[in-house]
Amino acid sequence: MTKFHNSDCTCWNCPAINLAGKVDFRACGQSALKFEKKQDETGDSHIMAECKRRPELGLFDPTSITFEECPEWRETQYGYLLKNMRIMILGMDGYLGWTLALWLGKLGCHVSGIDNFSRRSWVAERGSHTIVPISDMTERLHAAKEVLGLNINFRKINILDRELLKEFIEEVKPEAIVHYGECPSAPYSMIDFEHAAYVQKNNVIGTLGLLFTMHEVVPEASLIKLGTMGEYGTPLTGRPIFEGMFPANAVLKWNNREWSMGGELTPRDPVSFYHCSKAQDTFNVYEACKYWWLRSYDVMQGVIYGVYTDHLAADPRLRTRYDIDEAFGTVINRYVAQAVIGFPLTLYGKGEQIRGFIGLEDAMQCITRLIAKPPEPGQYDVVNQMSGYCSMRKLAETVKKIGEKDFGLKIEIQRVENPRVEADRHPFEPIFNKLPDEFGFVQSDMLEKEIHRMFALLTRPEIKKRIEEKEHVILPKTWWSGEKKEVERLELIKNNNHAVKKNGKAVNIN
Amino acid sequence: MEKPLTLTDKNFEEEVLKSSIPVLVDFWASWCPPCKMMEVILTELLFQLNGSIRVAKINVDQNQTSAACFNISGVPTIILFDEGREIKRLIGAHSKLQLVDMINEEMIKIKA
Repeated sequence: MTKFHNSDCTCWNCPAINLAGKVDFRACGQSALKFEKKQDETGDSHIMAECKRRPELGLFDPTSITFEECPEWRETQYGYLLKNMRIMILGMDGYLGWTLALWLGKLGCHVSGIDNFSRRSWVAERGSHTIVPISDMTERLHAAKEVLGLNINFRKINILDRELLKEFIEEVKPEAIVHYGECPSAPYSMIDFEHAAYVQKNNVIGTLGLLFTMHEVVPEASLIKLGTMGEYGTPLTGRPIFEGMFPANAVLKWNNREWSMGGELTPRDPVSFYHCSKAQDTFNVYEACKYWWLRSYDVMQGVIYGVYTDHLAADPRLRTRYDIDEAFGTVINRYVAQAVIGFPLTLYGKGEQIRGFIGLEDAMQCITRLIAKPPEPGQYDVVNQMSGYCSMRKLAETVKKIGEKDFGLKIEIQRVENPRVEADRHPFEPIFNKLPDEFGFVQSDMLEKEIHRMFALLTRPEIKKRIEEKEHVILPKTWWSGEKKEVERLELIKNNNHAVKKNGKAVNIN
Repeated sequence: MEKPLTLTDKNFEEEVLKSSIPVLVDFWASWCPPCKMMEVILTELLFQLNGSIRVAKINVDQNQTSAACFNISGVPTIILFDEGREIKRLIGAHSKLQLVDMINEEMIKIKA
């Protein structure tokens, strides 16, 4: 029998279990007195499990059955998954949400989702459009059924409408919730006060409402919450960027005394008002887990790129969106689009900023593996979800190399003024071990392969035309200083050394 | 890699109190991030101690009798037992070096 990352998990982790008996929501202020009191009152101080799927089992020890042994958990290529697992995706109309809906649906999950189509409005507000045309939700759902045989349960709901959200969660009773329902743009949050306030309200209050709803309705469900590597910033001390919390061997020394920092949240140094909203989310989720025994993985995602999964490519109506404007286009996606229309790839400042990144398919694999190994009661944990890291300059050179070599394009790279307040050169040592070590994530070494796929799609005449129509939204106009002006070119880089290194595993090409 | 022994209310007496060698027990909870970080340290410690001391862990929520019995009022709590008696208690996360220092100090006392 294959051993998976979640084979030895027990009902203690399972969202289909109600904990019964002496469940004690002590948070961190637990007291020996309370323990003793409970013992005196009942004579029995054990937490028991009650299976919602198999109530005939009665009450039993929650650690006595493993996922490997339980017939409700069935084998998939990403570990054991609950049969017909009910998974709700918040922000299902977005770049990631739609991709994940199809991905999980094909794995046999019962997928539900909400969205209020804000992303479509934000991009339109910025004068842009998705360069890969996408269908409206009705057509998407129709195609998912017709082409992939999926029944996706979608409801148009604004995450801030807590009444409607609660009603839907009560109806579906999700066993896992993947939260992509936030505004994901740093520049959008820096436009002016109204945009900053909007982003923070949508993200922070939306997530806070969700936490209260989960507490009230599905406290045993796992919450997979999308954060961002940008929450950490780039600490100029050069210390490693740990996965959310310090390891126990990290020691604080002061005044001839020392303490282990193990388990303390690492400092956050967000780099925009959007990133501040994500950092605030982190604290809110962390606290909710502590107060109410909610369970959550906070996923610090690197810069995402890519267009491909088997399901997205199965029919043009199933494609996911692809943005290239300054607010919503992610960097690698934007570079490929620029390259296709002969628009010099844009580096901000020196272009030496280093970022973590991850491909779309790899991100889907990670989320699936997280869902498959739900956190334990009250467990808040953080994973840094990235498959490699490198400087913006090296990324641009990689895109240029592939575009020129495989597609015969003539591609230039330019440096422009940096509208952001950030260090142009900085140390960057992210730790991203948990997903491979504890969740069995195997990255697909896909950077160049995926860039190739992106070129193949974007060089199609009908898509190239859509990029050309929106050429004017590519250069940034939103300055962190508050100014509104287009950035000026600093340099057209003439000679690039194609010094992009690649190894078999992590693509650390810095 | 070998993992620390998992204790329960049922086997605590047999595995800890009646053990012929000292036992380091980590009282932990799933909702406690410092406890999660200690897991790694305990596994490393197990390797380093090479059988001279047993290393074990017990979940306080799943085993409330043992937690009450030893007056666990905060997690992680790490107790070193010898011959059925508690000889040292540490509260909060600790580095591997701190644990090794504590164990060495206590072992000298035991041998004396």
